[in-house]
Amino acid sequence: MRLPLRGGTAAPVGEAGPEAPRISERSAALIAAALALPGILPSHAHAQTAPDEGVVALRYLDYRDWQPGARRMTVRNPSLYALVPIGSSLAFEGSVIYDAMSGASPLYHDTLSGASGLGITDYRTAGDARLTKYIDGNALAFGVAGSHERDYRSRAASFEWRRASADRNTTFAVGVAATRDSIDSANGVAKNRHRETYDLLLGVTQVLSRDSLVESSLTWSDGRGYYSDPYKLLDTRPDRRRIFAWLTRYNRYLPSPDATLRVAYRYLDDSFGDGSHMVEASWVQTLPRGFTLTPTLRYYTQGAADFYHDPPFPEGSVQGEPYTADTRLSAYGAFTAGVRLARSFPGGVTADVALTFYRQRAGWRAGGGGSPGLLEFSARWIEFGLEKRF
Amino acid sequence: MPSAGLEAYRYAFAAMASRHELQAWAPDRAQADAAARAAIADVLRIETKYTRYRDTSVTSAINRHAGGDEVPIDAETVALLRYADRCHALSEGRFDLTSGVLRQAWDFKRRPSRLPTDAEIAALLERVGWSRVEWDDHSIRLPLAGMELDFGGIGKEYAADRAAAILRECGIAHALVNLAGDVRVIGTRPDGAPWRVGIQHPRERAGVIATVEVVEGAVATSGDYERYFEFDGRRYCHLLDARTGRPVGHWQSVSVVADLATLAGSYATLAMLFAADAPAFLAGQGAHYLAIAADGTMAGNLPFSRGLS
Repeated sequence: MRLPLRGGTAAPVGEAGPEAPRISERSAALIAAALALPGILPSHAHAQTAPDEGVVALRYLDYRDWQPGARRMTVRNPSLYALVPIGSSLAFEGSVIYDAMSGASPLYHDTLSGASGLGITDYRTAGDARLTKYIDGNALAFGVAGSHERDYRSRAASFEWRRASADRNTTFAVGVAATRDSIDSANGVAKNRHRETYDLLLGVTQVLSRDSLVESSLTWSDGRGYYSDPYKLLDTRPDRRRIFAWLTRYNRYLPSPDATLRVAYRYLDDSFGDGSHMVEASWVQTLPRGFTLTPTLRYYTQGAADFYHDPPFPEGSVQGEPYTADTRLSAYGAFTAGVRLARSFPGGVTADVALTFYRQRAGWRAGGGGSPGLLEFSARWIEFGLEKRF
Repeated sequence: MPSAGLEAYRYAFAAMASRHELQAWAPDRAQADAAARAAIADVLRIETKYTRYRDTSVTSAINRHAGGDEVPIDAETVALLRYADRCHALSEGRFDLTSGVLRQAWDFKRRPSRLPTDAEIAALLERVGWSRVEWDDHSIRLPLAGMELDFGGIGKEYAADRAAAILRECGIAHALVNLAGDVRVIGTRPDGAPWRVGIQHPRERAGVIATVEVVEGAVATSGDYERYFEFDGRRYCHLLDARTGRPVGHWQSVSVVADLATLAGSYATLAMLFAADAPAFLAGQGAHYLAIAADGTMAGNLPFSRGLS
């Protein structure tokens, strides 16, 4: 798990591909699932003043993915998020999440041969906590996060400083984070292996007018250690990975339809070679009786990692040289379409339900050149959320 | 050859205390349902007929009369006995349809407070011995009271082959049968590509250690991770060598590709029982296999492309 740098400039959004590689297929489902969890990545108000009300949010996610003719992974995942103001200049935030995953054959396979029957069920628990101190238009945030699976542990710490300009129209953010992942694969291939990642974030948010703002951030990530997938035969990845991401968002409120347009673009460069582009647009439409309806459309395209080879394993390759057949590092394009319906009730209660579809195809890669031999991959997730402000 | 206009229909069901699945490609749901229903019914029929957990089964009848009268048997049972007899011979006595009584010493349902003693195992081995069983084309008799027959080692794979045959009889040209990890495929995938069967990682429930591509054939895996306990840091798995009465411990798992699930399953089980001699045994059968040794190293000649998960 990577601890996202949060704040006025949000952590990168994106598909499973460019995220730090996790160790097994079930994790791809998790990354996709995590993207749909606002409880984990709360989008903050931009003002660098202490919140004066607390929030408790409960969310439930049901994720399912499939390929032609085969249903694969199911993830059910409840999460809890809380924001608690402490005095007038401190705020505490925390979240916990519990995943139960089950599935049949993993991606690519039609079925699985084994001595103990079919199916995969696994569990993950994760949590994070953050304390923010507000002083004279500055916000200083310290965060820790952890995640635990049977064979994978992650610990992270972060610090972020946000400062608003005197006229409050501009906010600067600087953030650093350090993450240590421990991999102890049950097959003995990766015994007590580690990965350390450092992140640096620089961001600026500019209010352009009464109705619009733009925010832009640069993130550098430098990781060293074990990146291979111990459960994939011959999978060998470089032990250093550097990622640079540039994310820009533009939000504009349109008074006559009483709606907000949100657009975003992200460019990501990855030393593995699988760079990507992402564009996203959302329309937040206010409706009568406290309802809002938010359709979202996203397009994502990535190139293959330098050491990705389409199956089968290329003849003449030397074992130990960088090699992967992980489809998450292949070249493909993907569309995400979703809609969220939320309703505010008196007393600071908000309820929402969201439905999102995801589809990935090699042929959808921008400019062509998608990896051949990949099956189309689809996923959908349904979320329910209940939030209370007090 | 690619087949257009076919849809995939999947069926999950439980039998023999395990979860199973069928995948059938058919032009419509009605045909797929009819075929799957017939195939699943036959799997359940075989379970009911040979389970040792039902008093009315053929197995229970034979065991009930151990040390007594001979029990009449039908042609299907005779065929299974013949097959088991070949396995016994091929394994030089390691595989034995009568070795089930050893479970009285080795209980894999819980971690024991101690290991069975040599004397306890020796006492049970007196009631193990396929070569002493009296049988012909019409009847069978277990010569000693307390002897037991158990078709568990071959029944499931046989059922997989039967289910595949029934699906084919029902006009299904592209199908996959997976009975608790023993896989039999019919034809190719509908797009003409081979079926891709992942080999479960023996130490990682969610992991796939290799992929094998199969057309019109079977993949079966035998492993030490199905039922086992650990004692004093050593793993004792449910696969018992009928000659010694003790668990084998050389391989974490052996996966074999063969034309029939029955064959693949027997080769895999026998390879586990052959321990260090498994490669020689499998080479002698001309079998394609992937074996993972106790220390995690791999051996074999399986035409696997790589481990993808």
